[in-house]
Amino acid sequence: MIHSLFLLLIFPGFIFLSIFGTYAEFVDRKLYARLQNRMGPPWFQPLADFIKLLAKEDVVPECAVPGIFRIMPIFALAATTTAFCYVPVWSTHSLYPFSGDVIVVLYLLTIPTITFFLGGWYSTSLFARIGSVRGITQLFAYEVPLFMSILAAALLANTWSLTDITLFYSRHPSYTFFNIIGFAVSILALIGKLEKTPFDIPEAETEIVAGSFTEYSGRLFAFFRLTIDIEMVVGAALLSAVFLPFGLTLGPIVGFILFIIKVLFIVGLLALIRTIVARLRIDQMINFCWKFMAPLALLQIIINLILKGVL
Amino acid sequence: MGLTKKIVTWARIKSPWIIHFNTGACNACDIEIIAALTPRYDLERFGVLLKGTPRHADILVCSGPVTRQIEDRLIRIYEQMAEPKFVIAVGSCACSGGVCAGCYNVKGGINSTIPVSAYIPGCPASPKAIIDGAVKLLTSLKG
Ligand code: SF4
Repeated sequence: MIHSLFLLLIFPGFIFLSIFGTYAEFVDRKLYARLQNRMGPPWFQPLADFIKLLAKEDVVPECAVPGIFRIMPIFALAATTTAFCYVPVWSTHSLYPFSGDVIVVLYLLTIPTITFFLGGWYSTSLFARIGSVRGITQLFAYEVPLFMSILAAALLANTWSLTDITLFYSRHPSYTFFNIIGFAVSILALIGKLEKTPFDIPEAETEIVAGSFTEYSGRLFAFFRLTIDIEMVVGAALLSAVFLPFGLTLGPIVGFILFIIKVLFIVGLLALIRTIVARLRIDQMINFCWKFMAPLALLQIIINLILKGVL
Repeated sequence: MGLTKKIVTWARIKSPWIIHFNTGACNACDIEIIAALTPRYDLERFGVLLKGTPRHADILVCSGPVTRQIEDRLIRIYEQMAEPKFVIAVGSCACSGGVCAGCYNVKGGINSTIPVSAYIPGCPASPKAIIDGAVKLLTSLKG
């Protein structure tokens, strides 16, 4: 009991995830700044932002639905933290593996977008509503390629359990190179999930103020920001477990260090993409997802099906 | 000062998010504010982020005199911000009305409508002056 609580709340659960999430946000912002040839924020910046937001007043708009408005950040935080229980960290085993957990992780990672939608919609601000609808529209575009490319990797491993997938790929490391298209597609889809440039259409601050979060302030907004940080880490951990399963059999300490390096590598990739491209329009984004990413993911599935026959 | 209060004050000083609002400036002050936010001056070093919505911002950066038309909007934006909030008046017009003082459509400086925490004079105030003023406001929080 105490052991499970420790695992869930402290390491590698909530506390570790929050610290690592804020650190990943710092790495993201610092890299972004350095790529723009400026100094960037100091290392404690995300922490200071978080504490400051916690100490600020919570404004709940008069015409918002207070219950839903207040509960949504907690829901989002809980969903992303739960998803981490099923992602392998330092070995091929996740905390509570069961068959089919890859589907559960993917759905748990969808919940934050839904909570952004509900929170934005029930805050009844026009900007928040536009942002929320854009977020949901975007969800339908990136979610399918993401599912297809991750399930394509699962197909080759012949299992729907993340633990078995990582086990399979650490036994046959060379097979991961066949999944390179799927990796590229899921990185792009992860950008859409995290609502970062070029897919930051739901929060486009130059057009619709701050999207779904327009009315959020203080503690509630702090939780939403923490959710996005944790989602970034969990998403990167999921991709690194499926597509970069190297060194997981080398023992917990080496595995853990490699895990940190892999997640930061993916965060760095996201920052790099964020620097070089500008925001797309919503119709361009949907076109891009359905015309390029979905067919590429389909190609990955076909490749893996053929490989299964050959190997 | 208790430990919690100290940490909160530290966080507030290290993470000032701003929102920029033109209350009727001739645009020169606005351009200087934007210049202060560009990578050349890199205000993110101090944790400054430009936010689009008053709900997220801690500091309202106003430029220009308060015209009669903008008065209600300025009050509304000020009231939409979450406590604790600060106001910086950038430019001579924002400080006192400047060259626009006494105009038929002008009420006066920013402090004729909402309380102001820091005044940055200049016509227009240069980016360095703006950064200096913001830093002075933040250090005054310590005491
Ligand atoms: S202070 Fe000068 S530059 Fe600034 S708004 Fe007034 S007239 Fe324009």
